Amino acid sequence: MIQGDRVERTVEPSDGAVVRAVLTGDVEQYAVLVRRYKDRYARYASRMLGSVDAAEDAVQDALIRAYDRLAQCREPENFAGWFFLILRNRCFAERRRDRRSDGLDQARELTAPEVSHAALERAEQVRSLEQALLQLTPEQREVFLLKHVEELSYDEIAARVSTGVPALKMRMHRAYDRLRELLGETR
Amino acid sequence: MSQEFDPRERQTLGEREASDLPPSLLAEVVAARRPVSLSSQVEARVMAAVRRRAASPRYSAWHWFTAPSVPPWALLAAAAVVLALVLLRPAPVGSPGAASPLAAAAGPESVYVRFILVAPNARQVALAGTFNSWDPAAAPLVRAGAEGTWTVTVALPVGQHQYSFIVDGRRWVPDPAAPAVDDGFGRRNSVVSVSAAQGRVL
Repeated sequence: MIQGDRVERTVEPSDGAVVRAVLTGDVEQYAVLVRRYKDRYARYASRMLGSVDAAEDAVQDALIRAYDRLAQCREPENFAGWFFLILRNRCFAERRRDRRSDGLDQARELTAPEVSHAALERAEQVRSLEQALLQLTPEQREVFLLKHVEELSYDEIAARVSTGVPALKMRMHRAYDRLRELLGETR
Repeated sequence: MSQEFDPRERQTLGEREASDLPPSLLAEVVAARRPVSLSSQVEARVMAAVRRRAASPRYSAWHWFTAPSVPPWALLAAAAVVLALVLLRPAPVGSPGAASPLAAAAGPESVYVRFILVAPNARQVALAGTFNSWDPAAAPLVRAGAEGTWTVTVALPVGQHQYSFIVDGRRWVPDPAAPAVDDGFGRRNSVVSVSAAQGRVL
């Protein structure tokens, strides 16, 4: 804010400063990181998991997990990148678990006399892209989302997920083939 | 690096842009870019969990820094008790009290273990673990009373098992009163150790 010739500026503490404060006992400072990152990767998580509710659970778990492991954050100034990896692991694990239980869920829905909550949730996921993306592997889904929804470059994605650009392009290639296959079935 | 790909693929790799998508799908991609905001309750819930941990020296982040070799499950053993995990008794072969389907598989080296989860708002709760191949349908919990206590009794072989509760068919919830280990995918699995000789569950 500029008032006359005096410049007033609220200086936000850096991530590194907040991490160090928390580690030395000022636990309430962790709320700064929570506010700073609660929504930053919410879109990524919601697209990876297929719903905002699931994303909320994932982000919340990841933030708590990040606190538990805060002393292992080797580059406190890069808390964002470190936290993203924790959230990413959480999303991948959930996707893999969902795949394991999908068959059972579907079988139950076929025999259940009433419409289950899971079926209602599934009915909400009627958008073709959402449905098609759910059929991809977590790795394919992620590269598609980071490239086209988060609009990151391949180099930026590579830096975030520690995977080479050629491998990412291969995943994208496979993702496109699979999407074309899936959408060909429905459109 | 390009040797990894055959020439035909190399021609197309790197040219996969959003504009390659069908127009209708491209519109969905654009729509998917809209920001997502999570409930303000997330901050409250995270900070509540953080304060609970900080209140116990065993949970403090500082402790992780000074004693990183202490296994997390050992620290979690002191968690606030929301869930009680109770060993009932060694399971005799062919016991008439074997109500769970799992009990049919109980052998002389098995014991009955009751799992309890307090989840007043849950519509359904299940127990999945290494002992039932993580099958969400194998061990549903039954609501007992109006307080939202869910329970199931299963026969477990002597040894160590990992498990988790599944709330409403979607949320994997570790047992807050039990030790936990990393499942290798960024989540926590609870751990129960069953010993027939002493009749105790860790």
